[in-house]
Amino acid sequence: FKDDFSTSPHLFTPMSPYDLELPIQASSQLSHSKELHTDFSSVDLSFLPDVTQDNKEQNLSEDGHEMQKELDGSLPSKEDSGVFMDESSLSHPGAAQASPEAPGMCPPLTPMTPVTPASSASESSGIVPQLQNIVSTVNLACKLDLKNIALHARNAEYNPKRFAAVIMRIREPRTTALIFSSGKMVCTGAKSEEQSRLAARKYARVVQKLGFPAKFLDFKIQNMVGSCDVRFPIRLEGLVLTHQQFSSYEPELFPGLVYRMVKPRIVLLIFVSGKVVLTGAKDRSEIYEAFENIYPILRGFKK
Amino acid sequence: MAARGRCPECGSGSLVEDAHYAQQQLVCAACGCVLSEGLLTTTYTDEEHLREVAYSQSTGQKEQLSRCLQRGTRRVQDLCKVLQLPAVFEETAVSYLQRALQLPAFRLVSLQKKELLGGCCVLVTCRQHRWPLTMGTLCSLLYAPQELFAGVLLSLQRELGLSVPALSLADLVTTHLSSFRLVQPTAGVPAPFLEDKDKLLARTMAIVELASETWLVTGRHPVPVVTAAAFLAWQSLRPGPRLRCPLARFCRLAGVDLPPPAHLRLRELLDILLGMASQLSWLRGFRLDSKTVVKHVGDLLQHWLFLLKHAFSQQHGEEHQDTAPGHGCKDKDSGDKDSLGQDSPGQGSGRPSAGAQVRGGSRRPLLPPCLLRPRKRLQPAAPSAAGAAVTGDEPISDSEIEQYLRSPEEIRAFRKAKAW
Repeated sequence: FKDDFSTSPHLFTPMSPYDLELPIQASSQLSHSKELHTDFSSVDLSFLPDVTQDNKEQNLSEDGHEMQKELDGSLPSKEDSGVFMDESSLSHPGAAQASPEAPGMCPPLTPMTPVTPASSASESSGIVPQLQNIVSTVNLACKLDLKNIALHARNAEYNPKRFAAVIMRIREPRTTALIFSSGKMVCTGAKSEEQSRLAARKYARVVQKLGFPAKFLDFKIQNMVGSCDVRFPIRLEGLVLTHQQFSSYEPELFPGLVYRMVKPRIVLLIFVSGKVVLTGAKDRSEIYEAFENIYPILRGFKK
Repeated sequence: MAARGRCPECGSGSLVEDAHYAQQQLVCAACGCVLSEGLLTTTYTDEEHLREVAYSQSTGQKEQLSRCLQRGTRRVQDLCKVLQLPAVFEETAVSYLQRALQLPAFRLVSLQKKELLGGCCVLVTCRQHRWPLTMGTLCSLLYAPQELFAGVLLSLQRELGLSVPALSLADLVTTHLSSFRLVQPTAGVPAPFLEDKDKLLARTMAIVELASETWLVTGRHPVPVVTAAAFLAWQSLRPGPRLRCPLARFCRLAGVDLPPPAHLRLRELLDILLGMASQLSWLRGFRLDSKTVVKHVGDLLQHWLFLLKHAFSQQHGEEHQDTAPGHGCKDKDSGDKDSLGQDSPGQGSGRPSAGAQVRGGSRRPLLPPCLLRPRKRLQPAAPSAAGAAVTGDEPISDSEIEQYLRSPEEIRAFRKAKAW
């Protein structure tokens, strides 16, 4: 065949298969500024530097556990769930034909025991996100003398000028704990809920052996982080156009796309390499469910 | 006449609440020392009883609000003037600012963040009107660290529920190129380096589009891509005298900053072009390298869709078995021949081998660079196997805990060393 490319090069066309939706979205924003497609080609901003950050150019850790700390406080507010219910029917074209994978995965009923999704039908992705980090808190219910603890424990560091807690580490399970003088403790770094609980108990035992009447009250998992790889590259620019209500993609700030799923309330970091990080879950079923929700969407952007 | 506590000066217990010009004061009747004063601005009963009130609960913030708004509005107006934005942008940005300052999420933040709020409103307005303004520019105008700016922008987007469309790359190319000084005769720019703006713009757009097709743009900062593309376009429009000019000198002549990643982007672009060049029938005989391929960029861009399909294998081994017909086009670009067999030393080991590989028939897949050169990562050895055995309620042995406690000698030595 003979390709005729003698015409001028194509203008920048978005790659998404959902081209039809774009005019609707664009016009709704520009509804009160139709005449404003003004000419900015004459604007000369050469006197202004563009401060770029070269440290962002390295592929930031695609399984970025560190990101979890930033995202802890940035979950969507409650009003989001009301606004976006109608959007979800538009943005999840795969939802109609994808039946719930396993009986335990129906969204309204979260099972009490963690359930690994069974790969029943061909619609299921066959990929299981791996848990990378669990953050849990426990109340030791006694006032602690942090200086004393730092002096008597080998695995503790305490720098009151920098942070008002003792940082303690144990080797098995490999975790880190922040122990506060009020008796509250945060345990991070475990790879499963049981490991987190075991680690927290070990820290409590260390504190007990140091002479404090430590108890083990209100153990609670606060956050779970999982990651997986869909094994194909993803057009993030297309994804942010079609799922604008949920996604935030600012390549000037961060190389990944931040997708705030409403149901379940999970934040996903989606990278061009196909790696996905899921965070904000209180239970591991939420992570599995979120991934099963996002997988058909990502498949739509496979190139 | 409530007497509370004792006077610190004379120890007398007779404290009197008195008003000095309508300012409540607690005064010692014996020595006249003023223990504490009421604040003049609020009407809350807490403050009348001389207890401190947090700013968030005082009435002072209502007065502060208008001052805050005035300052923010002025900042927005200045920004719009400096950036030469249309008048409508200013109104929109100010309205966003007003809405934002009504919310407690922005009324009670630090002054530094309030300064950035005006800039964020301007950025959102520009994005919504498809006016290409980079965050880097705005941060440099506001003297703000980018992380802080990003935080304020994201919370603004969340609180006001604004949709912030993505930065349009095509528009960014237009504005970025308009600040290049190579389009008009200027002192210090040699004549062969001047270029017609429209031609440069068209070719840069084509290269940027090629870059976005080949995964060089997704996830990366947009400005270095545009800079590298502009450099390639400029070189290819008149390769003779310009090939010897390096990227750094080009940016200096153009009066533009050279962002550090631009070198990497340039390298990646050349890699793609070399791969495509191997599929052009009249170039197959030549052994191209990063310098000589620049001369053929015009041809490569003209047939880029076809060349991409043939030079790089699609995702799931979906190979095109199409036999490429002879194009019959002449080599338009340069009259001089490429030096055959010219080996470019030190151009990067990947490139000659990539060229040889493609000619050999096996094509590399069209993937983002991070997938082509995956970094070696230490895989944790069978994490699931180890994790599955743990129940969380196992007994904890004393010896295991004791390994974490210091022995008495250690404590003594530590105490001596640290003098606790």
